[in-house]
Amino acid sequence: MKFLKIIVSIAIMLTLNSCDNLFEFSVYEADVQTAQKNTTAKNLKLLESVQVDSQDFKFAFITDVHYFYNNLKIVVDDINKRQDVLFVIFGGDIADQALLKEYEIFYDIMQTLKKPYFTVIGNHDYNANGSAIYREMFGDYNYSFVFNNNKFVLFDDIVLESKKVPDFDWLSLALSDNEQFDQVFSFAHIPTISNDITPEMQETYKSLMVENNVSLSVHGHTHSYSYEEGVVSYLVIPALKDPEYGIITVENKTFNIELIEL
Amino acid sequence: MKIKNIFIAFIVLLLTTNFYAQEANLNKDKSWYVPDYVKAQFAGNIGVISVGAGYQLFNKVLYTELLYGFVPKSVSEADEIHLITIKNTFPIYRKKIGENLTLTPIAGFATTLDIGTTTFTSLPNRFPDGYYIPNAFHFTLYGGAMLHKDFVNSKALKGADFYFEVGTVESYLWYAITSSEVKFKDVFSLSVGVNVYL
Repeated sequence: MKFLKIIVSIAIMLTLNSCDNLFEFSVYEADVQTAQKNTTAKNLKLLESVQVDSQDFKFAFITDVHYFYNNLKIVVDDINKRQDVLFVIFGGDIADQALLKEYEIFYDIMQTLKKPYFTVIGNHDYNANGSAIYREMFGDYNYSFVFNNNKFVLFDDIVLESKKVPDFDWLSLALSDNEQFDQVFSFAHIPTISNDITPEMQETYKSLMVENNVSLSVHGHTHSYSYEEGVVSYLVIPALKDPEYGIITVENKTFNIELIEL
Repeated sequence: MKIKNIFIAFIVLLLTTNFYAQEANLNKDKSWYVPDYVKAQFAGNIGVISVGAGYQLFNKVLYTELLYGFVPKSVSEADEIHLITIKNTFPIYRKKIGENLTLTPIAGFATTLDIGTTTFTSLPNRFPDGYYIPNAFHFTLYGGAMLHKDFVNSKALKGADFYFEVGTVESYLWYAITSSEVKFKDVFSLSVGVNVYL
């Protein structure tokens, strides 16, 4: 009877604690809770209220959580301590199998971040019903915003999983007003050094960066650090397998990068 | 079409089970392939509703079942989900709590195959070798309790099991064990079901 008591108490505990997932029907469900929808739009709203009193500011770049949840939490806590980091960009692979449960775990940890954050979609995020979950939970795959007269362009360059060609026309248009801004920063999950996009796509992406005076293009996906300085610089931040992330300091017409290893 | 065929196969299985079982009742013995019971379950990561048939094996040490589960679009918020499950339940002990009434703590595991277009059992050609592990299979683990009632006066039905289970999926459990950010209450959920002996 002891076993039964344990089971019954677990059941009662479940009922009292979390009515949201009292019953679960399939790992493939894409039924995003209403409170967790339109996260990108909500964060853009939050960003409007972020005060900045000089031209210089910092933002952080985290990427590839997969299932390294403890490391995500360590990084989030560290960013919370840094008053000068104003917002965070997450470089994709929010999930590992693209299950709703994984998206929810990510969402819950990011709720503890006391700054606005913006995501790009990763290849893992597209699997199963992941693309539908991403759209509901975050929003558009391609979007851009302006902060302190700098433009930030977030681009979906997933090919194999999405079975489509990246929307370079959108990217070209999003970058076309670059002359109005101090600097332009571009973000996409797969870097141009990865063969998971074709050599033609790599070239198209790079030429768009050069033509539109992009200062820095930031990526994840390869799980290792890489930095290539040039007319357009290319930065790849490692996965959260270890608690690591990047801080980019924007200074007038230039920038500095720093890899934080906790 | 594939899904429709599987669904039809299940309906046929259920109907023949009924037919054979009724015959078996009269003859007091039945062929080895005729299931001992038919069942329906609500939730438990194997469909909103799953239906199927089962066998009591090895002198009722193992209840093994084949189930078809379904999640409609309105619940999944994506395509309809179709799941084939093999479920293995072990009764831990049996306690008689009344006349024709037995209470049994149960534990078990199930293997679920998604038969849809968004998952794969072998990696599609467009990916390099070993890029992803197959994502159409999942395993659920559960524990719970089952109440068995014998219907002594009924000619049509021999008895029924009513059960509830608290369970989780292998990946969820792994995340809860390896990460302090994932709580056990976030990964366990409830299911209820009934087995009907014919």
